[in-house]
Amino acid sequence: MALDWYLAVSALIFCIGAGGVLVRRNPLVVLLCLELMLNAANLALITFARMHGGEAGQIFALIVMVVAACEVTVGLGLLVAISRRNLPIDVDKLHELNG
Amino acid sequence: MNAHPYAMSFLLATAHIHGPHISWAELSPIAVLGVGALVVLLVGLASSQMVRARLVPTLTLVAIAGAIGTEIWRFSHAPQTIVAGALRIDDLALIADLVCAVAAVAAVLLAWRARAPREAGQGEFHSLMLFSLMGMAVLVSAQDLITLFLGLELLSIPLYVLCAAEYRREGSLEAGLKYLIIGSVGSATLVYGLALIYGATGQTGFGAVAHVLASQSGGGLLGDPLLLTGIALVIVGFAFKASVAPFHQWTPDVYEGAPTAITAFMATATKAAAIAVFLRFFDFTLTAEHVNWAPALAALASVTIIVGNVGALGQSSLKRLLGYSGVAQAGYMLTGLVVGTRLGVSATMFYVVAYLLMNLGAFAVIVHQERVSGSDRMAALSGLGRRSPLLAWSLTIAMLALAGIPGTIGFIGKVQLIHSLVNGGYGWLAIVLVVGAMISLGYYLRVVAAIWMTPADARGVAVAGAGPLAGAPVAAFPPIAGGSPEADLQASAGGGALGVERLTGDPELLLVAGVFGALCIVFGVIPGPVFEFVAHAGAALVGLR
Repeated sequence: MALDWYLAVSALIFCIGAGGVLVRRNPLVVLLCLELMLNAANLALITFARMHGGEAGQIFALIVMVVAACEVTVGLGLLVAISRRNLPIDVDKLHELNG
Repeated sequence: MNAHPYAMSFLLATAHIHGPHISWAELSPIAVLGVGALVVLLVGLASSQMVRARLVPTLTLVAIAGAIGTEIWRFSHAPQTIVAGALRIDDLALIADLVCAVAAVAAVLLAWRARAPREAGQGEFHSLMLFSLMGMAVLVSAQDLITLFLGLELLSIPLYVLCAAEYRREGSLEAGLKYLIIGSVGSATLVYGLALIYGATGQTGFGAVAHVLASQSGGGLLGDPLLLTGIALVIVGFAFKASVAPFHQWTPDVYEGAPTAITAFMATATKAAAIAVFLRFFDFTLTAEHVNWAPALAALASVTIIVGNVGALGQSSLKRLLGYSGVAQAGYMLTGLVVGTRLGVSATMFYVVAYLLMNLGAFAVIVHQERVSGSDRMAALSGLGRRSPLLAWSLTIAMLALAGIPGTIGFIGKVQLIHSLVNGGYGWLAIVLVVGAMISLGYYLRVVAAIWMTPADARGVAVAGAGPLAGAPVAAFPPIAGGSPEADLQASAGGGALGVERLTGDPELLLVAGVFGALCIVFGVIPGPVFEFVAHAGAALVGLR
């Protein structure tokens, strides 16, 4: 079976995720798109692990999953804190700090 | 996958799992921080307010001092690769560790009476800081793609929380969320790049990757699109962390919104760790492909120097100004990395040390300013020279050193970088560096002028000009940063009124500002000890000219 297609799908998912982060305004959706980017990396890692026959890639993918969970936990915590303060949940409207 | 399922489960049941041998002596700088973070977290649960407010920061300082002690103990030992090749404790890692640890000590002192640890909980605040410091220690000694990623995340995730530590203030929450989103984009890009590098080489160890690259025949990097894309994505990921243009937009915003002690920690320690791992990854792992990545990094460095310095010109908030200045300084540090020589590595690490000394003094003064006037506007600095000469001199020295005035450590650092650039055949990059330093005088000297050259009566005029609104309410409610110019003027007026009451400032701030201000001058006049110190870093990376 050609493993190249897995890489193509992974690259596609990564681009969808990166595009979503740039375009979407709801931080929840932005967090979802970040997950997409990380999972694209996971798919690539698993594919390469299969290609090279080692277990390092699979371990890497497991670690990426754990880290992704930590990041989302912190992100959701921040969103809860922001919504409790009745701030707008919209990345374009968060311009207290204006660049 | 041909094995019979029962045979597989039998094998699994009887297999003895052999963990890697862990050499605790070499691991001690990291282990001390981990243990310290857990102890601090537990002590933070004490019911006594006194214990929480005094014992927790003290224990944090003890933990960091322990880490510094073990780092000094391991210094200039033979480099060791430990934990099954995951970490390499060598002098480059130890120097970066020491820089980060000193930054953490200063950050704990700056946060001693600050609002952030009270709001977030003393135990949580300080243990997160220790965990972040541990992440830096893992990152700079990483010798494997997996450890590199783990260290980076262990560094970043506590910092996202710490940025939002003053969670009753909108700016702090917003800074936390912004840093989280942008930092995560950087991490995701980095991990995808690492995956591609793993795919192209089939190895995760830095040494093994370097070996595969060195033995590759033919086209090398340019002949392998997988590896090329991987390296490009890794550069982008690191650039987000080190705030290298064009991935720097978050820097001024997050620096302004985060609690100032955390800003000081982020600005110095994160940058030191990111630059150290940049050095190790490019000048060790990818050193065989130097011809191919050096032009890309040289272009990034020159863009960063120009963008950072030009961006800082228009800033009126000191934290934002230091944010943009940090972008420019990251560009200076990158130049030393580009040449890919031992001299370049030493010059970069020298500049990392110099950057630490120059910035911490300045941040101590900003913390003081925020306490007396509730704002970090440059206008609020007027009269600081009379109110508190020590702080005024520290800030002046810090600004002059950042600009690279002779007699300060910033000058020696820039001379070293230019020396290594000219030696390595990147003369044009040295010219960019000098032009950047010239532009930077425009804003560093503006700060110095605000400290010393504002007439004593200016504040009185400001109060009169601002009308009836400029009074007690302004002093009681610090204006939100980024407000109207009138609000800034009022802030400075209110600050002046409060400043008269507190002439000196808090002792720990005076200590940090005084010590780092003095060190900028001392090492600017006698740079020898720092030279010897950072020369170890250049020697630690094998395979460099």
